[in-house]
Amino acid sequence: MLLRYSVALLCLVLLSGCVTGNYVVLLESPDGTTGAVVIDDAKGQTRLDQAHQGVTIGGASAARPFNVGQLRIAHDFSAALAAQPALPQRFQLYFKIGSAELTEESERAVEQVFEAIRLRGPSAVSVIGHTDTLSGPYWNEQLGLIRAQAVADMLRNRAIEVIDLRVSSHGERNLLIDTPDGVSEPRNRRVEISVR
Amino acid sequence: MMTCDSSRAMTSRIRPLLIVGLLALAPLAQAQAQTLVEPVGYIMKVQGEATVTSRDQTIDASIGQAVILGAVLRTGADGAMGVTLSDNTVMSFGPNSEFTLDEYAFEPAREELRLSGHISRGTLNFISGVIAKLKPEAVELKTPTGTIGVRGTHFLVKVVQ
Repeated sequence: MLLRYSVALLCLVLLSGCVTGNYVVLLESPDGTTGAVVIDDAKGQTRLDQAHQGVTIGGASAARPFNVGQLRIAHDFSAALAAQPALPQRFQLYFKIGSAELTEESERAVEQVFEAIRLRGPSAVSVIGHTDTLSGPYWNEQLGLIRAQAVADMLRNRAIEVIDLRVSSHGERNLLIDTPDGVSEPRNRRVEISVR
Repeated sequence: MMTCDSSRAMTSRIRPLLIVGLLALAPLAQAQAQTLVEPVGYIMKVQGEATVTSRDQTIDASIGQAVILGAVLRTGADGAMGVTLSDNTVMSFGPNSEFTLDEYAFEPAREELRLSGHISRGTLNFISGVIAKLKPEAVELKTPTGTIGVRGTHFLVKVVQ
């Protein structure tokens, strides 16, 4: 009895709340915001929307959120957290009008982009070409693909190791800056490199 | 006016070249469309004992290995593993974990969005991706004692049994 009491006290002191069963903890998202999770179990529904809030899943009594301290998180999750892959990243390169040639600014930025991709280590890469609405949709679909292919070739020429490389075009269907048809918009003439 | 002129000149100069490129690309696009079993993600980190079971075949997990729908990911007593899915969902597991990827659909253009899995034991670190952003109610993580609905976020879950 005394032992049990001591253990419980130790848990309380060390781990700020000893949870014995299944539980979930909400953390701050990588972008600095905090989202939410909704837990459904036999006792009903609980919503967590604050960082470090935790709740048991299917506990004996009605679920009541509690604070989960850094120590407890480290104790239970350090291995899972250490195995977290590099977070996905996105890069944009811009093109001269009607062309698969980079703008001067993107020409200057491009080596930094490739270096960032190389530093991540082998990743899955999607290269997606986009255009403005100046020409017709059919031609823009092709132009987007040619732009994407040009960027994919640059990746290959630099011997950047990838797990998977997908090249596709959204043509004029996925505008960064919304414009009517037939509008020249430099910010829409781009290739997006999505690395994960 | 000047922009208009220069754009026309540029387009006509470049078009013949582009058309040649196009012809070369057509078969490639077709081949991609015909691929049936698409990997939905890849193993990005591995430590210690970790395996992937797909279609009743279990192999040791390695970096860059494809994860397909229905895959079961397991880690041993000293194992850990990290996975990134095609919608940018990031998941990583601590020791003695077992997770099954039950449902996955990421076709925003056709509004097919779904991510569902279950963790039967161990620890999971989960950072949601584009599916949760576009359709939060489409992302669901089951545990033996209850279900976690993901509303676009980062969370940890521990399953003891």
